[in-house]
Amino acid sequence: MAAALKIEDLHKSFKLGFIPKKKEILKGISLSVEEGEIFGYLGPNGAGKTTTIKCILGLIFPDKGKMEIFGQPHLSLLAKERIGFLPENPYFYDYLTAKEFLNFYGQLFLLKKKEKEEKISHLLQLIGLERSANLQLRKFSRGMLQRIGLAQALINDPSLVLLDEPLGGLDPLGRKEIRDIIIRLKEEGKTVFLSSHILQDIEMICDRVAIIVNGQIISQGALQDLVREKILFTEVILSGLEKKELEGLGEYFSIHGERILLKVFEEEKIEKILNLVQTKRGKIHSLIPRTETLEDLFVGIVKQR
Amino acid sequence: MKRSSLHEKEFTFLFLIFFLFLSCGVFMGLKLKIEQIPRKKIPGSSIIYIPSGKYLKFATFGYSSLLADLIYIWAIQYYSDYSIQDRFNYLDHIFSIISELDPRYTDPYEIGALIAVYEAKDMDLAFKILDRGLEKNPDQWLFPFEAGHLAQIVKKDYKLAMAYYKKASEIEGAPDITKRLYASAAFKTMDFKTSWETWLEIYQTVKDERIKKIASNHLYQVKATIDITALKEAIGKFKAKYRRNPTDLSQLVKLGFLASLPKDLDGKDYLYDSQKGEVTPPTIPWKR
Amino acid sequence: MRIIAIALNTFKEAIRDRILYLLLFFAATSIIFSRLLALLTVGDRVKIIKDVGLASLSLFGALMAILMGTSLVYKEIDKKTIFTLLSKPIHRLQFLLGKFFGLVFTLFIMISLMSLIFLALIFFHTFRIEWKMLLAILFIFMELALVTSVAILFSCFSTPILSSIFSLSFYLIGHLSWGLETLIHKIKGGAAKTLVQILYTFLPDLENFNFKTEVVHALPIQAKFLVFSTLYGVFYTLFILTLAILVFRRRDFI
Repeated sequence: MAAALKIEDLHKSFKLGFIPKKKEILKGISLSVEEGEIFGYLGPNGAGKTTTIKCILGLIFPDKGKMEIFGQPHLSLLAKERIGFLPENPYFYDYLTAKEFLNFYGQLFLLKKKEKEEKISHLLQLIGLERSANLQLRKFSRGMLQRIGLAQALINDPSLVLLDEPLGGLDPLGRKEIRDIIIRLKEEGKTVFLSSHILQDIEMICDRVAIIVNGQIISQGALQDLVREKILFTEVILSGLEKKELEGLGEYFSIHGERILLKVFEEEKIEKILNLVQTKRGKIHSLIPRTETLEDLFVGIVKQR
Repeated sequence: MKRSSLHEKEFTFLFLIFFLFLSCGVFMGLKLKIEQIPRKKIPGSSIIYIPSGKYLKFATFGYSSLLADLIYIWAIQYYSDYSIQDRFNYLDHIFSIISELDPRYTDPYEIGALIAVYEAKDMDLAFKILDRGLEKNPDQWLFPFEAGHLAQIVKKDYKLAMAYYKKASEIEGAPDITKRLYASAAFKTMDFKTSWETWLEIYQTVKDERIKKIASNHLYQVKATIDITALKEAIGKFKAKYRRNPTDLSQLVKLGFLASLPKDLDGKDYLYDSQKGEVTPPTIPWKR
Repeated sequence: MRIIAIALNTFKEAIRDRILYLLLFFAATSIIFSRLLALLTVGDRVKIIKDVGLASLSLFGALMAILMGTSLVYKEIDKKTIFTLLSKPIHRLQFLLGKFFGLVFTLFIMISLMSLIFLALIFFHTFRIEWKMLLAILFIFMELALVTSVAILFSCFSTPILSSIFSLSFYLIGHLSWGLETLIHKIKGGAAKTLVQILYTFLPDLENFNFKTEVVHALPIQAKFLVFSTLYGVFYTLFILTLAILVFRRRDFI
C-alpha cells in the first residue's frame, strides 16, 4: 500500500529569546504512515509533536527534510486538498453558527452550493450536532467545539486526517464519542494521524505508533510489536483466607470487608493460591493478568532519556 | 516533483520582489509628476478655520507650547512666501492662536508686530499684538518698548509713544534709555513739564558722564523751548499793543509783559533779532 | 473565489467590532457638534460644518482603519484560527488579500454612513445636496485603503499596540511631507540634498488625497491631478500589500 504520509529526516530549530538563541526542536524525524491505518504520535510535552504536524501543514518551514502526502510534495495544493486538520485547543470564529462555520470552510474548497449543503448536513449528523446547527459557536461546550472542529477537518472528505490532541480536555463520554468517530473514519478508508497524551485511548484505536522524545523518534512500529505480550503480574481478589496464610505469595493489599487483593508476580504461585482457596473453601472474586501497557512502555522509554 | 516546486517557490519570490520594485518605481514617478501640477496649495490652510486658540489648547493635551512653536515656524514660512496674495487676512488670527497656546513665548509677538507693520502695513494690528504680549507678560518691558518705537518712528504719534515708554519704564529691567525716550517723546508732544521733570530726574540720578551731558543738553533744550515760547508770547502781546517788535528783550520786562527776563540753562541771554522778532538760543544744545 | 470567501468572513467579523461603533459615534457627534461650532462664527456657517465634517471623516476613518487593521491579522495568529485556515488549499496571499478587501469593504460601509449624516446636516443648512463633497470623501476613502494596507502589513509581524503606533506614524509622516519639501529647498546641493529628495519621493504623501480645501472653496481641480492621485494611491497600496505578502510568506506560526 502507498504511504499516506512520509517524512524523511525533518529538522527544525527556532531562534528564541531576546538575544536569539538557537533551539533545535526536531532533530531528524523520519516516519511513514500507511494508507488506511490509524497512526498514533506520542511524546511528552515539548517533544515536538505539534511542531511536526505544523511542518506537514506548511504552517512552519523546516530547515531540512522532505515530506510527502500521497506521493505529492506536502505544500502543493493537490496535497492540501486531501488533508483535514484539527488543531489542539481549537478556537473558531465564535460569532458564526455551526452551519455558517462549515459553510465558510466549504467555500475555501470551492465546493458547489448543493454539494456543500449535503456535506454539511452529513457531517453534522456524523458528529451528532444536528440540533445545534444554528447555534452560535460561542455557546458551544468544549466537547461540542472539538466535534465541530473535527467536522471542519472533514469538510473536504479528506483521505488523510491530522488530529492534534483531539481528546484533550474531554470527559470520558466525549472521548468515547471522538474515538468512535475516528474508528468510523478508518472504516471509510481514511488514514488518521493523531497525536495524544492519553495513552489508553491510543492503545484502544491505533494500529501503529511512533514515540518522539526530545525531537527524535525513539520507537516506531505496530502497537502489538512494541508492547510485549508478557504478563507483568496478576491481580487476584479473593476472600476467605487470612493474611498470614498468603505470606510470601505476593504483594498484599486489603480491600474493604473480607476481600484481599494480591499482586502475584510468579505464575507458579497462582496455582498455589488457587489450591489454597479451594482447600480453605475461600472464594476467588477476580483474576486479572496485567500485561505491559503502552503507558508502561512509554514511561520506561521516557525515563531512560 | 520536488525540484519544480522549489523553482516555483523561487519564481514566486522573484516575481514578488520584481513587483515590489515596480510598484515602488511607479508611485515614486507619479509623485514627481504630481509635484509638477500646479495646485492651489495653501499649506496648512485648515488652521485658519479653527475657531479659537482657547479650544485648541484643550485639544492639544498639554503639548500646546510645542504646537505653538510649530505654528509659529509654519507662520514664518507662510509669511515669507510672497506668492500667496492674501496672506495677511488671518495674520491676527494666527498670532492670536499662537499667543493662546503659549502666551509666554515672546518671539511671535515681536515678529507678528513687525510683519504687521512692515509687510501688512497694518499699524493697529501691530499695536494690538504687542498689547496682547504685554497683557500676557506683564514682566516683559520689550513689548511696550517696541510699541513705543513703532509709535514714535513709524506712526509719529508721540503721545502714544509717551504712553508706551512710560509703561515700559515702569517694568523692572527696562533699559535706562527708556526714560530718555520717554522724555524725548514728551518733548515732542510739547508736554514740557513732564519732559523737564524726567530729564532732570535722569540728570540727577545718572552716573555716566556722557549721559549726564546728554540730559543736560536736553534740559537746555526744554528750558530754551519753554523760555522762547514765553518770550514769543510776550513779543506777540507787545506787537499787538505797539504794532512793532520790541528793540530789546529787556523792554518786555520794563513794560510789564514779562515778570523777568529768562536766561538759558547756562545763564546766558537769548539772542534776539528785532527785525524778524525771533528769539534763538545762544548755543545749539548739542554743541555745548 | 477563496479571496472573496475570506473577505466576507472578515467583513462579518469586523462589523461586529465594538470599536467601530464607538468611533462612528464619535464621528457622528463631532459632525453634529460642528453645527454648534458654526453658531460661534460670523459669516459662512456652512464652511465650518463642511470642514469639521470632512476632517472627522478623515480622522475617524483613519482610526478605524488602523485599529481594525492592526488587530485583524494579529487576532487570527494569536487565537490560532489561522491554523485551520492555512492548512486548507489556499495561498497565504489569498488570505491577506481577503483580509484587506474585507476590511476595505467594512470601511466603505462606515464611511458611507458617516457621509450620509454629513450630507444630511449640510442639507438642513443649505437645502441642497452638495455632491462635490463626495469627491473629497472618495479620496479620503482611497487614503484609508492605503492606511489599511499599512496596518495589515504591520499586523503581520507585530503586536496590535506597536502596529498601531507604526501605522499612526505612517499617517502623520504622510501628512507632513510638505515639511520635507521646505527642508529640501533650504539644503544646498550635494549628497545630503539628493538623499533627502529620494526620501521625500519615497515617503508617502497623503496630501495627494486631500481635496478638502478645494471642495469647500469650490476651487477647480485638474482632471490630470485626480487621475495621477488615484494611480498613486493604487500603486502605493500595491507596494505595501506586496511587502506584506513577502513578510507573511515564510513566516513560521509557532
